[in-house]
Amino acid sequence: MKNRKLLALFALLGALSLVAAACGSDDDGGGATSASGGGGASGAADCSDEFGCVEIAAGDPIQLASLLSITGDTASLGTDSNHGVELAIDYLDDAFDGTPGQLLGHDVTLQQEDDGCSAEGGQAGATALAANPDIVAVIGTSCSSAALGVADTILGDKGVLLFSPSNTNPGLTSEEAHQPFYARTAHNDKIQGAIVADFVFNKLKIDSAATINDESPYADGLAQAFRDNFEALGGTITDTEQVNSSDTDLGPVFTNIASTNPGVVYGPNFNPVCALSYSQGSDILAKGTVQIGSDGCLESSFLDTVGDPIADYDYYASSPDVTAYQGGDFYKNEYLPAYTDQFGKPTSVFNAHAYDATNVLFDAIESVAVDDGSGNLTISRTALRDAVFATSGYQGLTGTITCTPLGDCATDVTIGVFQYNNWPVEGGVDPTDPVFSETKTLADVI
Amino acid sequence: MGVPTRSIVRAGLIGGVAAIFIALVGLYTKFATLELVGEQITLGRLMIVAPALVAAYAVTRPRIVAGERRVVSLRDGLIAGALTGLGTGIVFAAGTWFADLFGVDRIREVFISVTDELIAFLTFDKGIPGGLVILIVICIVGGVVGGFVRTAPEPIRKPAAVGVLAVLLFGLLQRIVPIALVELGYDADWLYRAGSGLTVLGGVVVFAVAAIADILWNRGGRRLKDRVRQTTETAPAARLGLFLVLVAILAILPLLLGSVISETLGQVMIYVLLGLGLNIVVGYAGLLDLGYVAFFAFGAYTTGLLTGAFLNTTTGAAQPALSADLNFYVAVWIVALLAAGLGLLIGAPVLRLRGDYLAIVTLGLGEIVSVITASKWAQPLIGGPQGMRGVTKAEIFGLNPQDNPQHFYYLALAFVLLAAFVSWRLSTSRIGRAWTAMREDEQVADATGISTTKFKLLAFAMGGAIGSLGGALFAVSIGSLTPASFEITVSITALAVVILGGLGSIPGVVVGALVLIGLPGLLREFEDYRPLIYGGALVAIMILRPQGLIPNVRRTRELAEEEVAQDAWAGGGPSGEGEAVAAVVPGGSLGGEREDLE
Amino acid sequence: MATVTGQRAPGSQLGLLERLPWRKIILVVLSALILLVVVVGSYKTLTLPADERYTATTWKNFVTLGLAQGAIIALIALGYTLVYGILRMINFAHGEVFMFGAYTSFFFSDAWEQSGFLDSNPWLSMALLIVIAMIASMIVALLLERIAYRPLRNAPRLVPLITAIGASLFLSNTARGFFGAQSRGYGVPDVLSGSWTILGVEVNRIQLVVLITVIVAVVALSLFVSRTTTGKSMRAVAADSEIASLMGIKVDRVIVITFAIGGLLAGIAAVLFSITFESVSFSMGFRPGIAAFTAAVLGGIGSIYGAALGGVLLGLLQSVGPALVLTGYGIPSSFQLKDAFTFLVLVLVLIFRPGGLLGSGEAEKV
Repeated sequence: MKNRKLLALFALLGALSLVAAACGSDDDGGGATSASGGGGASGAADCSDEFGCVEIAAGDPIQLASLLSITGDTASLGTDSNHGVELAIDYLDDAFDGTPGQLLGHDVTLQQEDDGCSAEGGQAGATALAANPDIVAVIGTSCSSAALGVADTILGDKGVLLFSPSNTNPGLTSEEAHQPFYARTAHNDKIQGAIVADFVFNKLKIDSAATINDESPYADGLAQAFRDNFEALGGTITDTEQVNSSDTDLGPVFTNIASTNPGVVYGPNFNPVCALSYSQGSDILAKGTVQIGSDGCLESSFLDTVGDPIADYDYYASSPDVTAYQGGDFYKNEYLPAYTDQFGKPTSVFNAHAYDATNVLFDAIESVAVDDGSGNLTISRTALRDAVFATSGYQGLTGTITCTPLGDCATDVTIGVFQYNNWPVEGGVDPTDPVFSETKTLADVI
Repeated sequence: MGVPTRSIVRAGLIGGVAAIFIALVGLYTKFATLELVGEQITLGRLMIVAPALVAAYAVTRPRIVAGERRVVSLRDGLIAGALTGLGTGIVFAAGTWFADLFGVDRIREVFISVTDELIAFLTFDKGIPGGLVILIVICIVGGVVGGFVRTAPEPIRKPAAVGVLAVLLFGLLQRIVPIALVELGYDADWLYRAGSGLTVLGGVVVFAVAAIADILWNRGGRRLKDRVRQTTETAPAARLGLFLVLVAILAILPLLLGSVISETLGQVMIYVLLGLGLNIVVGYAGLLDLGYVAFFAFGAYTTGLLTGAFLNTTTGAAQPALSADLNFYVAVWIVALLAAGLGLLIGAPVLRLRGDYLAIVTLGLGEIVSVITASKWAQPLIGGPQGMRGVTKAEIFGLNPQDNPQHFYYLALAFVLLAAFVSWRLSTSRIGRAWTAMREDEQVADATGISTTKFKLLAFAMGGAIGSLGGALFAVSIGSLTPASFEITVSITALAVVILGGLGSIPGVVVGALVLIGLPGLLREFEDYRPLIYGGALVAIMILRPQGLIPNVRRTRELAEEEVAQDAWAGGGPSGEGEAVAAVVPGGSLGGEREDLE
Repeated sequence: MATVTGQRAPGSQLGLLERLPWRKIILVVLSALILLVVVVGSYKTLTLPADERYTATTWKNFVTLGLAQGAIIALIALGYTLVYGILRMINFAHGEVFMFGAYTSFFFSDAWEQSGFLDSNPWLSMALLIVIAMIASMIVALLLERIAYRPLRNAPRLVPLITAIGASLFLSNTARGFFGAQSRGYGVPDVLSGSWTILGVEVNRIQLVVLITVIVAVVALSLFVSRTTTGKSMRAVAADSEIASLMGIKVDRVIVITFAIGGLLAGIAAVLFSITFESVSFSMGFRPGIAAFTAAVLGGIGSIYGAALGGVLLGLLQSVGPALVLTGYGIPSSFQLKDAFTFLVLVLVLIFRPGGLLGSGEAEKV
């Protein structure tokens, strides 16, 4: 009896599902829509499209939001970016005085949400923000896993611009995956991988390398970018390894790497895997083997774990070249002191990218917001997006910003390679200049 | 009757140590400025009072004196509370004073949360010694309140406690409730301060409403509940009616609560589904499965593969080595079927294992799946560390579950109801009875002709199928799959949901999921401390109420008897069968050989 | 309709599995497949073209790494197996007992490294660090027993398991709150870096120290359990606690001692681990905990030498396993699969010996 009932139930469900399949659509979503050129703020704003407009009454603030990693192990990254945004808001009155300025006669507020550095976190945060129709745009996310297919889609479906100061995963701005309302001022990791490959092949003159990455999308993507570009230069990849972020025993995997005799081991991971790679790897690798990490490694915790550089074994880490922006007077004499004054020493370099993103956004808002004369603003979401994507030749802290249709705004990227322990972070020994620095554009890389 | 002095001293000590613990772990520093009500009542300040309060509450509990249960009188309760508070305060103050004396900077080399700000906070910015005195006084007050809450006359204390808890809850939910209200079109300004906690008015209102609701419940509500239970137990039609009412309420929920809360509820529903599946394996069949994430991951990735998701690569996207582009509502049944097969595959080698051996093997199998999802080896199929993207939106009848949290909730609810129905029918069926028999004594069950092999496999298959549905839903809800979502924490959380709710109890699974997933989902400020609170709560609940929040009546009875059976299993029971060989040759076992352990 | 004997409606495949020979056949086939994979893989690895093959030194490195890590895991596994023998309970939080020992010793190690004491008196420092770690671990173990486990002495199996998991979460995050989320570098005294050449074979000093320490500990424990009165009480309680208490043995005290010993061993393992891998962190107990638990089961839970054997075997599986078996197949990044490989072997072992390697042996259903 019971069996028959269950069988009937399943049959019914089967039938239902066939009906559902017939009725439901099978749309996957995604695929970039081509944007029509954005106009200026003349005349009335066009609110008739699917995304509509944001209305800001006179006296009400312009509401910005941030979706960054503010809790957990990556909290230093997100908090740092938030500070960049806050400084941009501060500078609206042309002075870093701790009092925020105004944009078009309105205050600017920042609602801070957590991206959890994961897909679930990105979804939760993006949903919370998408539910608020007053949010003009979102600065975020910190971690690529929170954006890719998650936050960029959720916010994009509501026409809310998501502008990232630190996502570097190449997939986010790829032809197939790019979401129309997503852009970033952080570099595309294809560039970082290419520059490091250049460093190894042309500067260090080493033609064999092995890579080791942890299971984060960031590390995997960057290692892949390195491999592609290194092989294109003529180098040989002797071994490709992967470990878990929580592994402490890297002995066997490094023994395996050592058996293939690479000249360089590239490990663009997070700590503590980076630090352990250096300290344990140098016990195993042949003398003189160079190890290289990336901006995920370039942290004071690495210095704390490893201590002094290990004799006969060099370690380098690549990162956006802070000294390049330090070359600029504004950054060195006004921005950085203001940051240190208000928040202490920066815990990451990406605050500058956040600052730039916010300012690009402000410029775009200024150009498309329509004032009805009595201080009420109307901002068309599509127009805002178009204005951001039309940014060209903007001189930011991090370099010249020109946005491509696929959302990469950091088109001229300068990556520096820093030797351990002359690292530009807390605990680093002077001089903290990079031993190698190069600028590339997306067109130059694989 | 007074409270014994020894208990007071001990409670005071423990309270003080707890307070110091809270300080060292960083909770004060983190939440000192989280305003709950108005500007003055912050979570940090509440946490200063809390240890004394809780200690006093515990110390004034009714005791058994000479076989008689004696309640503590109000007067004694207040005195005991005050004294406990004093004890707590003294220890707390001593710790703070010591930290200041020894040098905050030196202590911070070990305990990173001990900062000048912490000391300032704990001394209410009045410094040593004035601030310490205030601290002790506050603790005494807390103790008094704690004693009051325990010993006050019934009509007052319960509504007051409920009211305070409600205020606490609404204060903590300060990010969620205003959004929900605004989404429904209400103005929340009178209730919540912008970007902050409750207004004073709001706090009073919440307290009053909650307290009155509690009074009404005590008056008439309970009778109503009994009447309902009576009617449903006698008339099946009434039970069906009640069930439909519940479903209707569940269905309206997302419309009432807005999209943000619906999103959290959707995640809760996924874990309810996981819990229901695991409940079959652990609760009904008594098989300890610590690797449930295997089915979850399998369901998610297979759904992705069958519905045309693609792999993330550095150059954009790639087609998986095997893929199909089916409609979700067709694919999901294939997934469930395949998962059932996986369940059979996983079950086969573990059939003969008992108890903890089964646990470790299932844990291992879960880890194998977890490792494979991230591996480069499987990357051409499921994307490796970068994962997959573009899982179908599962659109149907105009609903879009991937983009709209409220629609997703409905989809999830449908699956949950299905799984709950299947679960319920299984439990009352012949199969369920076979499982019960197996659970209670496998050897006897086998002897009476029940094929334990078959039923164990069935449990794994059904549990696997339902678990994979949870994975499928998860894939649809997020649309993007990365290995980070498929780690052992999923297995542990699912198990905690089942056990917390009550083994073998379907409503228990719902409650367990609400508590373990819903609350943290809404209280994201606590994200950093979630595992700490989780772990502590699990320990506390297991010690205080091991049968779970909504226990299954039969299981509770069984749990009492199981300890006897377990001794037999362990080789030391009255039957004497499988008696452990205590021969200890050096190198022999400590615990003896167990013949019946298999 | 299904009958008492469980026959189902026609068309169901499950009935076939009931017949014992079928089940055995399937399991034998499964095991044979796994063995085949292992053997073929090994063969392919060993017959790779000369320039791709591992050298003898590399093999030696794999083996010594595996032995060293396995030895440390064995020490932790002993803690699991002791508690299990007495209480039939998996102490999931034992990894955290281990972690607190490591972290506590870290603070001293750090201070001594800065003051130079670590390098001027390496053996003394090591001994002191081990003692400190032993004490810290012991305290945590005793607290655990008293607060989380004793109230649940008579609860059914699942309840203490969940409590242990909760305690594990609680303890590791307590350490996180206390000491911070970042991992810290653990100092290695100069005298221990590098290698010694013994019998013509170059062995890492740390690895040798680890092996010797663990062997001593295991033998000491075994002697303790078999020769001393307390040890005999422990065995008695493990065999049958009711009768033991009737004989006048204070069961509570024995349990406390068992936890204490487990803690002491974990403390030793903690220092060895930290020096070998040169770091400590709040989450360092989780993976080794699972590994140790697996090792104890692999060797036969409840058995001291079983835990030791299981630990060493596990270490070897994680190190030599992927190298030997998976390299031959050309699987990319095969070392990432080491956990998968290890658990597969565990399943294999338990299919044939459900009680573990040194466990109860053939366990037929009665």
